[in-house]
Amino acid sequence: MKKIISLFTAICCMAVFTACQKKSDHSPTKPDGKLDKCTLRFSWWGDDERHRATLEAIELWNTIHPEIEIVPEYGGWDGWTEKVTSQMSGGTEPDIMQINYDWLATLSPDGTGFYDLNDLGKQLDLSGFDNEVLSFGKVNNKLNAVTVSVTGRGLFYNADVYESLDTEFPRTWDELIELGDTFSIKGFYPLDLDIQSGGTAWYLAIVYVQQTTGRDFISMDGKLGFTADDIRMALDFYKKMEDHSVIRTIKTRTDEDGNAALYQSPEFISGNVAGVLEWGSSVGKYEAVLPEGSLRTGPFLTTQDGKSSGWMIKPSMLYTISKNTEHPDEAAAFMDFLLNNSECARILGTSRGIPASRYAFESLEQNGLLTGLAYESDSMLDGLDTVTISPYMELPRMKEFYNTAIEQVSYNLCDTKTAADEMYSSITDYLERMK
Amino acid sequence: MKHRQYKNPVGVGKYTGLLLISPFIAGFILFTLYPFVCSFVLGMTDYRSAGTPKFIGLDNYKTMLSSESFRKALSVTLKYAAILVPLKLIVSLLTALLLNLEIKGIGFFRTAFYIPSILGANLAVVIMWQYLFTADGLVNQFLELFGASPVSWYGDPDASIYIIIMHRLWEFGSTMVIFLAALRDIPRELYDAAKVDGCGYIRSFFSITLPQIKKVIFINLILQTISALQEFNAPYMITGGGPLRSTYTVGMLIYDEMFKYSEAGYANAVSWILFAVIAIAVGLMYLVTGRRERNGS
Amino acid sequence: MKKLPVYLIMILLSAVMLYPLLWLLGASFKSNREIFSSVWFIPKSINFDIWKNAWKTVTPYTMGHYFANTFMIIIPKTIFAVTSSVLVAYGFSRFNFPLKRFFSALLVIGMLMPAIVKVMPMFLFWRDTKLLDTYVPLVFPALLAEEGMFVFILIRFFDSVPREFDEAARLDGCGTMKTLFLVLLPCIKPAVTSIAVFTFLWTMNDFLNPLIIIQSVEKYPLSLALRLSVDSTGQSYEQCRIIAVSVIGLIPSIAVFALAQKKFVSGITAGGLSG
Repeated sequence: MKKIISLFTAICCMAVFTACQKKSDHSPTKPDGKLDKCTLRFSWWGDDERHRATLEAIELWNTIHPEIEIVPEYGGWDGWTEKVTSQMSGGTEPDIMQINYDWLATLSPDGTGFYDLNDLGKQLDLSGFDNEVLSFGKVNNKLNAVTVSVTGRGLFYNADVYESLDTEFPRTWDELIELGDTFSIKGFYPLDLDIQSGGTAWYLAIVYVQQTTGRDFISMDGKLGFTADDIRMALDFYKKMEDHSVIRTIKTRTDEDGNAALYQSPEFISGNVAGVLEWGSSVGKYEAVLPEGSLRTGPFLTTQDGKSSGWMIKPSMLYTISKNTEHPDEAAAFMDFLLNNSECARILGTSRGIPASRYAFESLEQNGLLTGLAYESDSMLDGLDTVTISPYMELPRMKEFYNTAIEQVSYNLCDTKTAADEMYSSITDYLERMK
Repeated sequence: MKHRQYKNPVGVGKYTGLLLISPFIAGFILFTLYPFVCSFVLGMTDYRSAGTPKFIGLDNYKTMLSSESFRKALSVTLKYAAILVPLKLIVSLLTALLLNLEIKGIGFFRTAFYIPSILGANLAVVIMWQYLFTADGLVNQFLELFGASPVSWYGDPDASIYIIIMHRLWEFGSTMVIFLAALRDIPRELYDAAKVDGCGYIRSFFSITLPQIKKVIFINLILQTISALQEFNAPYMITGGGPLRSTYTVGMLIYDEMFKYSEAGYANAVSWILFAVIAIAVGLMYLVTGRRERNGS
Repeated sequence: MKKLPVYLIMILLSAVMLYPLLWLLGASFKSNREIFSSVWFIPKSINFDIWKNAWKTVTPYTMGHYFANTFMIIIPKTIFAVTSSVLVAYGFSRFNFPLKRFFSALLVIGMLMPAIVKVMPMFLFWRDTKLLDTYVPLVFPALLAEEGMFVFILIRFFDSVPREFDEAARLDGCGTMKTLFLVLLPCIKPAVTSIAVFTFLWTMNDFLNPLIIIQSVEKYPLSLALRLSVDSTGQSYEQCRIIAVSVIGLIPSIAVFALAQKKFVSGITAGGLSG
């Protein structure tokens, strides 16, 4: 029996390693510059609106290129990361994929995880993108993905509450802190920050520090730009916001909302919490639960002697092509259609945010499809000297470091210095490991 | 009262049994042993979703031992199981007894009691729990009614685990169903005889029902212990593991490492430790009940 | 009159158990704002369009199509799971064979490992057998008694049936299979029913496995279709539609349970021989 077991173990070990390594033996299919008859798989996640628009866009593609059939694969966000991660490790991913920004760092840390789109210039027109936007999809000088839309977090306030308290939206950090004092007398909070998956608490804190010091938190290639003291400054600022009742403490917030997102919180819906920091591309959820027209865009906070704007932008999602695809030309042609085709852009509207491609943007402009809070906030960001969020900053593990530190500080389990030193060393170790 | 014990199976043929269980053997090799061995091997590698696995020996296990978050998760999980399992067995046995009574509309009640298990990971459940346990939720209002001070259920790291426990307790349906099936097996005559002897309801419960369903209590104990120690879904939905990781179970840790942080190697190593913990718990239960049975008879 | 307190307890308990379901039903008619600001279940207004749209879905298929898909998985799976677990449990309970202790230990050991570690190896296995995007990976394991827990439960129930039953059957000339089907199975019908119901309900709710195995939207089972429009990263969504869809998805489970619940307690009385 023992012999059989050990033999079996040995076979399994080999199976595991060959299964895991099989995909790397395979070298990518070279483009041949022609569009042949074939079938392509295209996957995305999203909501009903995005599904509907994208399916319609695929129909349009069918009338232009009936020889290239597109098989859509789509679903909700829940579990989509798991699905794509499994597909990537099994080498069974679709030819074209919509991906999240931080997946570039996890799925293609050296740029070989996806097809190098630089080789597909014949089908894929990148002239509609400015260089900065294109650089978001570059890993190791390989163009792994193309940005669909760019977004940044903006401040949105419940105007009804602000009016009833006879206050203006804050313009500077000091004004924000003062608001906390005026609001708390009446039992309101001017803003909400979370340490859930969004992690806006840390986000706002680093904007403040980036503005003050002019140093970027993490560089695009994954180097920590902050010193331990900078991190401490961020945590101190966070604590200051809590102390001045700008935001609820983590404990109060959890007691009142449980694990719910802010747009599901009775405190937010009733106006007790009157502000939110959110991606322009996701603000609709908050708008929908307040009386119509209540939620308005606020100014991006500044300080008088700031060294930079400190506010940040990132691609809200990107398109990429599988390195295992057998039809790179055709996939590139379809991607070009999704990004640049003006008719397609009209159909897709803003279901994936404000398009980064100039051609798509112009099409939406002509059709009068650019309105709303998301557009307002994103165009205000355009006017600022923004920093690009490093894909490393958004890694789930990094978010865990930030949130742990903030939670500890909020619950008074340790002082900001200890928390900052701990966070500094965790981050440097982890970034080192990710290389 | 004499109840004959049958130690020896009655089936005929030396290999008939083997033939009958052959699907299990095949299934075990394919769907249990194969993934187990894979996971054991992966547990000794550094394997992130992008790369190929790199053999690193026992490093993952060393990391785990020195990891604060792993220790915390393990102690949360053990505490959780130790509180939940006995409570759940009692609650489901009591309701099963209630549902075994012959009263009108019993079918409706049985279905109603099972509904929470059907709802599972549903938004309604998460929202209900919020209305129940938030600062001015129903439970606290109820407490205040009786003059007790309100509890900070979600925000206090010492209290949060009980929200999860309440949730799983509420989902006692499947345990109850197994008890129901077992109660049905108890011969009516035993109760009739007891009635003649003048036994009350409580006494016949302890002298007839309990001994008769002893074995089923044991299976439910084992099954519930296993599932409590593997708990992942309830804290994931209801508290997200917080505050201060006070509801962050080993099951969540494994899931996060596997899919959120893409550290499949480490996730598999943690799974093996969890496997060992469950094996020890279940082994102890077998030992204790085995000894009791030997001493008792 | 003696039963009044029992009724009271039962009614109170069922209210606690059923309220979320009622709330869910009501919420399918509410706006997001209404959903999150009140615990009361009755909606302000009732509009069935939401349900119509939910049934239609944005995909080229209706919910009916996804129901059909789910049943293509669930029916064979339930049959396979019940048959294989009954046979295996019968073997363990009634027969002696070489290495029996060893195999019983394996049965328990199989239940101890967190199921999640199986996901990746099995995914690679089904990829190599070219069976991804089919229902085989979701159904076939049931044929091989994959769910050790079912076997574990059934063994105990088989054990509780007195051996005289088998002996009597054998004297009447019943073979191995006839004894099982004519004598033993009727005795443990409640346990067999519960296993069928568990398989049904769990398959209905299973999300991760179909998510990873099934690629084409056309083949999605209900559990995937239900979450098709949930996107927490996106703009906004109508919560009520998602809720309406999930209510639709609960109907078969509740129906199956309501129909099966009688079987948990009834069946033929096995009283005659024991005691």
